[in-house]
Amino acid sequence: MDRVTSGVNTLGAIINPYMLYGLCVLGGVGVCLALPRGGKRPQILGALLAALIGGGAMLALGLTAGKAFPNLYFYVFSLLGLGAALRVITHPRPVYAALYFILTVIASGGLFLLLSAEFMAFALIIVYAGAILITYLFVIMLATQAAEEGQTEALADYDTHAREPAAATVVGFLLLALLTAMMFGGVKDLPAPGEPGHTRLMGQMHTKVQRTLRAEGVISPTEEVNAVDERAGTILVTADDGTYRKVERKDWPASLATGNVESLGFNLLRDHPGGIEIAGVILLMAMLGAVVLSRKQVQLDDEAKKAEAHRLGLIPEEGGAR
Amino acid sequence: MIGLTSLAQAAYPEPMAGATLAHYLAVSAIMFVLGLIGFLTRRNLIIMFLCTELMFQAAGIALVAFGRYHLNFHGQTFVVFILTVAAAEAAMALALIVLLFRRKESLDARSWEDLKG
Repeated sequence: MDRVTSGVNTLGAIINPYMLYGLCVLGGVGVCLALPRGGKRPQILGALLAALIGGGAMLALGLTAGKAFPNLYFYVFSLLGLGAALRVITHPRPVYAALYFILTVIASGGLFLLLSAEFMAFALIIVYAGAILITYLFVIMLATQAAEEGQTEALADYDTHAREPAAATVVGFLLLALLTAMMFGGVKDLPAPGEPGHTRLMGQMHTKVQRTLRAEGVISPTEEVNAVDERAGTILVTADDGTYRKVERKDWPASLATGNVESLGFNLLRDHPGGIEIAGVILLMAMLGAVVLSRKQVQLDDEAKKAEAHRLGLIPEEGGAR
Repeated sequence: MIGLTSLAQAAYPEPMAGATLAHYLAVSAIMFVLGLIGFLTRRNLIIMFLCTELMFQAAGIALVAFGRYHLNFHGQTFVVFILTVAAAEAAMALALIVLLFRRKESLDARSWEDLKG
């Protein structure tokens, strides 16, 4: 994999650590100004500053990585995601904040696609943007005071005024400076990237191998796949008269490969079966908890209960036979 | 003195193959910090929980990037679990918020200041 590691450069060549900390400070000032304070002007200014700093940092990272610069999609998705994240924490209207969060989710889905995690990208968009955020929107609409008659601006005080913006930003960007310093200082301890290779899952998917080989015409419909040895690169095929033959790797069709979903499924169910059980229990508990918590006690007297039961047809009318 | 490590590239199309691990980690760190700042500064309970979701997102990006770097699927598997926990957390938190809103008719975190000991 010399082809891709040749683009590696030192970060110190472009940004020295002090400049990185300077960027963190400037970004912090921008975010601090961008937080809602009731006014309007410094917020836009701060957001612009923060966006500029973020873009500059990305550009510096891109220049540093040399050959990495043409990777346009990464910059598009990450700037979209981070800009939307900034709007999530600065927008005074909760509904807009939730909508901006959907944009962040979609942008991270794009980043996942670039990382060749296709299944997770779509699961993220379906589960997050499609389910969780819709629930959030419902609750925002349920739990917001209605605007009074003739009054269009109904922004609550707790939405337009941030709590301790300066202190929180200092804490946040101290953490960011620490994280980035650790990150760039610590990567030399990471092992080298793994060798691209096969996940060696084909041996467990005889039916898929047989189907693919039959569809590609490598074996005849009467032949059956007996054993798949991906390491050695042979597939043992049995004909219906009991004779064996081997299909070597050079004869394997290109479509005989494991995809993202298959590999992820094997990893999930073979390596982390306990995790799945626990996840199921967590979801069940959350469902029970949500139902119990949000249940509304309605006090009805006997008369009202009877009337309601009549209305629903649960008990017959007075004097009627059952 | 400081190196940027390349992501492992398993026969990936060249135009998409450029970004290094550090790029994704930087994006993840910035997003996490934005979520943290939002959680600390916003006073609306719903937005505070939205900011925790933002931090979940950031953790997910870092996990998938590391999984890509090591060319295994453990990172993606853990994002599945993050998704589960996020869904459970959203259900519980939103139920709690609805409950709290009924009690005080306000989403302000400050209206619950008397809870601190």
